[in-house]
Amino acid sequence: MIFSGVEFAYFLPVALALYWLVPRRAGAQNAVLLVLGYLFYFTWSPRLVPLFALATLVDYAAARFIAAQREAGGREGATPTEQARRDRLARLGLGVSLAYNLGQLCLFKYLGFFAESLAAMLATVGVHASLPVLHLALPLGISFYTFQKIAYVVDVYDGKIPACRSPLTFATFVAFFPQLIAGPIVRGDDTLPQLAAPRRPDAEQWRAGAGLFLLGFVKKAYVADFLARYVVDPVFADPAQFSARAHWLALAGYGVQVFCDFSGYSEMAIGTGRLFGVELPKNFDYPLLAKSLPELWRRWHITLNTWLFEYVFGPLTTGTSWLRGRLDAGFLVVFLASGLWHGARATFVVWGLVHGLGLVVHHRWDEAWRRLCRKDRAWVARRRSAPYVALSWALTQAFFLLSLVPFRSASLGDAARFARGLLAPHAGPALPAASAAPFGALQVALCFALFAAYHLLEIGRGARLRDAFFALHPVVRGAVYGAVVALLLLLVPVSAGTFIYAQF
Amino acid sequence: MSLRQIVVEWLDDNYHFGEAASLIRDDEMSFLKNGILDSLGFVQLVLFLEKRLGIKIDRKQLSPKNFDGMGKILAFVAAVPGYTGPR
Repeated sequence: MIFSGVEFAYFLPVALALYWLVPRRAGAQNAVLLVLGYLFYFTWSPRLVPLFALATLVDYAAARFIAAQREAGGREGATPTEQARRDRLARLGLGVSLAYNLGQLCLFKYLGFFAESLAAMLATVGVHASLPVLHLALPLGISFYTFQKIAYVVDVYDGKIPACRSPLTFATFVAFFPQLIAGPIVRGDDTLPQLAAPRRPDAEQWRAGAGLFLLGFVKKAYVADFLARYVVDPVFADPAQFSARAHWLALAGYGVQVFCDFSGYSEMAIGTGRLFGVELPKNFDYPLLAKSLPELWRRWHITLNTWLFEYVFGPLTTGTSWLRGRLDAGFLVVFLASGLWHGARATFVVWGLVHGLGLVVHHRWDEAWRRLCRKDRAWVARRRSAPYVALSWALTQAFFLLSLVPFRSASLGDAARFARGLLAPHAGPALPAASAAPFGALQVALCFALFAAYHLLEIGRGARLRDAFFALHPVVRGAVYGAVVALLLLLVPVSAGTFIYAQF
Repeated sequence: MSLRQIVVEWLDDNYHFGEAASLIRDDEMSFLKNGILDSLGFVQLVLFLEKRLGIKIDRKQLSPKNFDGMGKILAFVAAVPGYTGPR
């Protein structure tokens, strides 16, 4: 069941009715959410439900154990020896949780990849090893909920948040279905207090939630799915059949597709969360407006990048770490981790390394400019000039787009073939299968226009226009929303595809 | 030189080149939300303060709660064990 599918159109109203009909107590509301979460998960991976439940239990117990050790160690009269013992036990609790979470992630997601990579490496030096490879079904959303639980246990260990006492609240926090399979990656300090308190109906929150859901639906079910089907997939499946122009169009189409797919999913998740009275964190912030790579990563998949920054980059480059102060090495490690997070495939490793190196180059460039700016303030003005800003924007966006070649390709060989197709002019259709769709070329143009308009409505005159729309009479806005829904019913196929990020 | 001046000078040297003092309207103003500093800048600022002031900042305390604003930085650094004032 996915947000843009028919099943969800039946599931959501029933779920909302059940949720808002139970007594407005946190316990009752969480019990409904928990059942809905497990039901939602069951529709994806019925056999892995016990594993999901066990993973929840392990982290609940680990956090409670850590909190108990902290409390005992901090008690008045506790001797230094006792405090040290309690600290060791708290560290043990953290270690068990990390080992379980990372071990599970490695077992399901990476073991096969590492075994195959090792065998391939050995083969290059003439050793043909047959390593045992387990072909296990990847539990849905494992990368998302594992990171969510790791952050929770680390935060409890660091004393940033208290351990959640209620197993029901904690289980609901892990299994909250709007963000269960593809984020946003929520944090304990933000979401647990919301789930610990009763939620009350709020018409304004529902309005905002429904609007956001509709926006996400348009992005996912119309723009992303249309581009995938008619522009992107045919060219990536068989690049040799298409011209260089079709390659560029497919690559640009994929950039729009992956953004609309994932940000659309996130908006539907946040919108659904609001319908249940729970506010989820923002995951995208108009990445097309980014004028540098660091800015792009502050605007794209915000909850993952914040997580990587707080739990990997920060600890790695500060304190007593051996990489202290080595920001370049920190970038490489973080983006290698980000690449592997997306999947156990060499293409994702390359994608991560490309972005890590991109950040290193940007960082060095930035340092050099700063040195110039310190010497002569004229360089500050040059840095802020329109040509510099425009060039920065163009380079950032072009870099990101080109990095999607390995990201989208199934293998490095496929990526190389596609990259060659971008450069080598050869015969073949200039526009992929889009002509097969009704008003094909027009719809392709409309998808790109919607993507551009979405970003332009955030800046300058566009933002004023957007604000003017939201200031219109509710009946007028309602009519516009109705027209959008009617258009969607005409244009969007009933059975929509899956989400790109759900597979991670 | 006061701690405030040290931070403003660092911001000027690295991000705002002579405009930092005018950009920081008050001590409560968020550095992150107002483009004074980004998350990478926080790491660089922490590394700088450790070196300049001879203090050690625990990784657990590397959070916007402690660094997202002039007031927060001044209060946080003043409370770091072993901090004896600007050197």
